[in-house]
Amino acid sequence: MINLDERYSEKKSFFNRLIIIYAFFGFAFSFFLYRTYSLQVSEYSEYETAAIDNKTKEVLVQPIRGIIYDRAGKIIVNNVPTYDLIIKPSQIESIDSLLSDLSLIINLNSNEIDYVKENFDLKASYNRELVVKKNLSEIEIAQFEVRSYKFPNAFIDVRYSRHNNYPKLFSHAIGYVGGVSNNELTDILRSQKLQQIETIFKYSNGYQIGKTGLESTYDNLLRGKFGKKIYNVNARGRLLDERQFIKPINGKNIFTTLDIDAQKVAFDQMDNRRGAVVAIEIDTGSIVSYLSTPSFSTNAISNGISSSAFNALIQDNDKPFFDRASQGRYSPASTIKPAIGLFGLENKIIDWDFSINDPGYFILPEDQRVYRGWRKGGHGKVNLNKAMIVSSNTFFFSLAYQSDIYKLIDYLSNFGFGANVCGDCFNPDKALLPSPEWKMNNLNFGWFKGDTVNLGVGQGYLSATPLQLAYYATVLANKGASKDLSFTNNGNEKKNQYIFSDNINDLDWEKLHQSMIGVIESPIGTAKRLQELKTFTVAAKSGTVELVSTDTKEDYKVIRENEGNRDHAIIIAFGPMPNPRYAVSVVIENGESGGSVAGPVAIAVLNSLIK
Amino acid sequence: MKKKLEFKNFSIYFDQYLFISITLLSVMGLFFLYSASQGDLNTIIKQSIFVCFGLTLMLILSQPDPDFYKIFSNLFLLIAISLMFATMIFGKEINGAKRWLNLGFFTLQTSELIKIALPIFLASYLYNKPLPISLRHSLQTFLLICFIFYLVYSQPDLGTGLVVFMAGIYILFLAGLSWKFILTSFGLIILSMPFIWNNFLEPFQRQRILTFINPSNDPYGSSWNITQSKIAIGSGGMSGKGYQDGSQASLNFLPEAETDFIFAVIAEEFGFLGICILLFFFFFILLRCIYLAFNARDRFCRLSIGGLSLIFASTLFINLGMVVGIIPVVGMPMPFISKGGSSLLSFYIAFGIIISMATHKKLMQK
Repeated sequence: MINLDERYSEKKSFFNRLIIIYAFFGFAFSFFLYRTYSLQVSEYSEYETAAIDNKTKEVLVQPIRGIIYDRAGKIIVNNVPTYDLIIKPSQIESIDSLLSDLSLIINLNSNEIDYVKENFDLKASYNRELVVKKNLSEIEIAQFEVRSYKFPNAFIDVRYSRHNNYPKLFSHAIGYVGGVSNNELTDILRSQKLQQIETIFKYSNGYQIGKTGLESTYDNLLRGKFGKKIYNVNARGRLLDERQFIKPINGKNIFTTLDIDAQKVAFDQMDNRRGAVVAIEIDTGSIVSYLSTPSFSTNAISNGISSSAFNALIQDNDKPFFDRASQGRYSPASTIKPAIGLFGLENKIIDWDFSINDPGYFILPEDQRVYRGWRKGGHGKVNLNKAMIVSSNTFFFSLAYQSDIYKLIDYLSNFGFGANVCGDCFNPDKALLPSPEWKMNNLNFGWFKGDTVNLGVGQGYLSATPLQLAYYATVLANKGASKDLSFTNNGNEKKNQYIFSDNINDLDWEKLHQSMIGVIESPIGTAKRLQELKTFTVAAKSGTVELVSTDTKEDYKVIRENEGNRDHAIIIAFGPMPNPRYAVSVVIENGESGGSVAGPVAIAVLNSLIK
Repeated sequence: MKKKLEFKNFSIYFDQYLFISITLLSVMGLFFLYSASQGDLNTIIKQSIFVCFGLTLMLILSQPDPDFYKIFSNLFLLIAISLMFATMIFGKEINGAKRWLNLGFFTLQTSELIKIALPIFLASYLYNKPLPISLRHSLQTFLLICFIFYLVYSQPDLGTGLVVFMAGIYILFLAGLSWKFILTSFGLIILSMPFIWNNFLEPFQRQRILTFINPSNDPYGSSWNITQSKIAIGSGGMSGKGYQDGSQASLNFLPEAETDFIFAVIAEEFGFLGICILLFFFFFILLRCIYLAFNARDRFCRLSIGGLSLIFASTLFINLGMVVGIIPVVGMPMPFISKGGSSLLSFYIAFGIIISMATHKKLMQK
């Protein structure tokens, strides 16, 4: 029927064709095997890493911020535990029945219940914890603890909040913490070689950063280093088991030189008047008191404040957020006189015996313009000592008139005017030590001789912060030795810088101190009313900052009707004499009299420091 | 070589090489599936039932004489096509695809049946046609193949469709399709590529092909599967991470670990050495099939064994190629290993028929 040859050739053709297809498969299969070999053997380490990365999830663990102490070792800022009720959604079958059981012992409002219900499924699928209620009361904690066996998947955990034990005393000195911006967080984490990822928080408010004051300047030390928990995860991002825990390194504690008692005295004395008090331990340059009033509660700011309360603070005319101590610019007024006097001695313009007649005014020879003193009729014959005690403007007008402005500016800069005098203050203002160049650039006017004359009594363009004034007082007390101010007691590392030449000797300094003591002790001293307040000898120089220039006392009575026009009261003081340990500066805005208004605050702070 | 187990009263047609290696593969499959399903007993019990049933079915289907398949091949094809239409109407829709017919005790993927019925039918149709196949017969069969491909493709199931299409073409080719016809159609296919791309491919299918061409395009999008599969395979290394210790599979990074991507699980847990041993069994089965085809008793058997074994080889290769990323992702199980009902059974059926054709000899050859 069928040709055998044909059958043979058909079979051969079939076989050839089958082999062609299988050859193709063989080829493809070799390629597959080569591919698998390269995946598993040549590129093994790459894929091994990828597999480990896949199943690994790192979570940051927030460190606790350092504690801030005063100089006696008392805690100013602490981390206060709050207790939160937390559940593990992945192990809970029915959230509704759990919530109804919990609500019998813990007061849950509808917001809290809604929050839990909304987030339950997500947290369950990722195996994360869920906070049911923050800030449990003691009763709630007790009620839960005794029944905790009923709630195997719920527990109470500690979350901290930053708490200042003296929230209004140290508003500006210590400052407050607050939420962190994305950029700040990225920078912080990058400095710790970390990436921004999910974080286990120790603070109920999450990430925190020092916003102002020491919380900000020492944020690097206080913040600590994030730890890490490394988990195994599945493909859906669900945490399975903890593989490794690198503990966070908590922030370093800061031991400040602040003196709570002195600060409290300053705060009470200021009595919410607008102003600032800065007190310095002369030997070390340590800031022991630093107050700007009125103040505000840092705890409220750190841990949540209602927007209405916050707006009230922002809109308060007294500007409680404004740090007057390091940012308020005030004319030093008569408190500049010791420095001007020293300048006269240094440049041999005057000596201690040199005297002039003070008729109550100084007439500028160039244009006959009259510069008045505070007392009509003047002080008669005044030398440097008397000029300091009675605060004769005429004497210092005349001294300044004979001074070279550039030399004078240079000299004043030695006292910290126009400079940053503090190593760790938050955002200190340099205020203004004016120069002819400054005036030309900013006011488009040349420097007049009258500008120099005004400088002689600390009025005009010259301004200083209370912090700078305190530094200035420290330099005067320390007989010309200066040291950067600081909130932390690292005084031993700081070197004294002696800024004065041979023209002023120890005797000159003693005479200067005597005249400043006379400001209080002398019956004609401008601050003689302070005599009864002090318990030891104090050197001082008061000042009254004229905000509106008036020719007569009658004129002043008119303008003082408006409180904002009244003179600022200002004083620098140090004691106990003859070996002063503390220096203080006080500014009270619109306080009118340096001696009798700012003076008592300064004396009270010194009394508290020198017991 | 025994082709028959002789008993006192009856004899069983049986090929020990195929039977043993298929049984071994099936048991290994259960073992791998246990790990891939993360110790899900339900899955294993169900799969074990399929394996036992499948092996029995294979044994049963080896018994009839090949003429039985030859005579009834048109009936089988008719039933298979009817079932395809029934699926179209009564089918169960899963993820937008209508491929399954619910039979109560079992959900049948009807395209798996037509994958077997079509080559058998073609082999029997071409059994007594003069060679080389005339243009008319070529076109007739080609149209039939295209029609059936379209049935499967429209479910939609491109993967199985392609295997069905290839199954038909294999038979035509093996039967002696003229080279002229082959080259002409090949040219036409190339030319019509853009048309197919625009009109016949679903957007997700196009996406898969694009992803295949440039996998780094979206590591978490459509190439997630292939990225995770490569990580699983690569991280297995030379000797693997150990049974049930593959993190990619056990932590669910690997998608479809029980079905299409089970090879990646095996590669992760047993390494390159492990898969070489596993693939040796497949290789052995294919070699045996070539041998049997060459020694088949007539054209029908030759074509059937060749065609069915090539379907097996194609399915295997598409699965492997897809898992290591040398061809685009089309749903394709690994024969005898992946979890699955219809596709698993279809291979037991195919090998049952192969064994029948290999073991029944005619005293008088045609």
